[in-house]
Amino acid sequence: MLGSILSQYARTLSVFAAFLLIVLVEVLGIREAIYPSLEAVFNWMNQSSWLGIIGTTYGSVYATVEAVHLLSMAVLGGTVLATDLRLLGILFKDIPSETLVTGTHKCFKWALLMAILTGIFCAAGVANKVYFMEVFWIKMLVLLVGSCFMLFIKQPFLTSRPHVEIDPWMMRLLAIASILTWFTVAATGRWIGFS
Amino acid sequence: MINELLLQFGQWMEAQQYSQMLVAGYFSYSWLEATHVLTLMVSIGSLFIIDFRMLGWVMPNVPASTIAARLHKPMIIGFVIMFITGLLLVYAKPVETIQSLWFRIKMILLLLAFINAWIFNNRLKGAEGNWDNDPVAPRPLRTGAIISLVLWCGVVTLGRYIPYDWVDCTNTTNTTILWAAGCVDQLNAL
Repeated sequence: MLGSILSQYARTLSVFAAFLLIVLVEVLGIREAIYPSLEAVFNWMNQSSWLGIIGTTYGSVYATVEAVHLLSMAVLGGTVLATDLRLLGILFKDIPSETLVTGTHKCFKWALLMAILTGIFCAAGVANKVYFMEVFWIKMLVLLVGSCFMLFIKQPFLTSRPHVEIDPWMMRLLAIASILTWFTVAATGRWIGFS
Repeated sequence: MINELLLQFGQWMEAQQYSQMLVAGYFSYSWLEATHVLTLMVSIGSLFIIDFRMLGWVMPNVPASTIAARLHKPMIIGFVIMFITGLLLVYAKPVETIQSLWFRIKMILLLLAFINAWIFNNRLKGAEGNWDNDPVAPRPLRTGAIISLVLWCGVVTLGRYIPYDWVDCTNTTNTTILWAAGCVDQLNAL
């Protein structure tokens, strides 16, 4: 009985467990306890790691990697928009939504991987600054939530059954959540640049 | 001659009240820049999906012309917003931007990208046969897609270089760079 419930609602329970974990980390003061010790890691990233050294020494390399980061985000945005506008029934109405969901996912994963790798390099170059920025931590949290949402909830759910069997409002909500999440990731990234 | 004219035009714009207001208001400039960069996800994101389809990297089972036609509108909306915000960014810091080597190369690449897009569109309309359902587009369209990807990567990269001051008028004495960047005062002083 319990096993059947667990397997049937595995994703829902995982999301609930992750949410509970975040609440506990905050309520039990774990975040506050960990945060000061991370400063040394960020200083090491900036001053001693080869990523940080290259980033702070060669401005042109840093700017080029920033550009690749932007391009990766552009590709990621393109795939998210194409899929989610279809789920919202705005674009590609003549193409089955299943085709778009599966057809853009590989490209999305590559773009996300590139954005994360180049993002690590960019963060290493200014690690001693971003550590103190609230917006940086918001971006990291939203990025983590967005990636888990896409890879473990949205995509498995949309590929698990024909879309005619899914409530259209569920698909719309998934699309809106996805657009808002990735817009927040991009906007907070831009805000880091201003801070 | 052209550099002097461009500099005068830049100085005229810089003297405008609205130009000064844009750059003085920290948030107005930041919002403009943020909108310019974030619209990348709509404009270049859509464009790259079209190019990737031509190369057979995404949705090879969907007709290429359908992808191009459906993404055309969001792509154009994105480019219009980018173009307007880009103009306003230049208007906010006209002299600095006009005398940026990276900005000048970016404009050349932008022009080439638009010419390529025009040729690409004509080729797409004129492409014969039933290649539309093929996973990969015919060679001329693939070539156009690759050129488009290279040019837009260049545009974004150079746009990213503009805030950096490596080859600003005050940071170089190389006459070729000074001429190419339009550093009139520095060239006259040499």
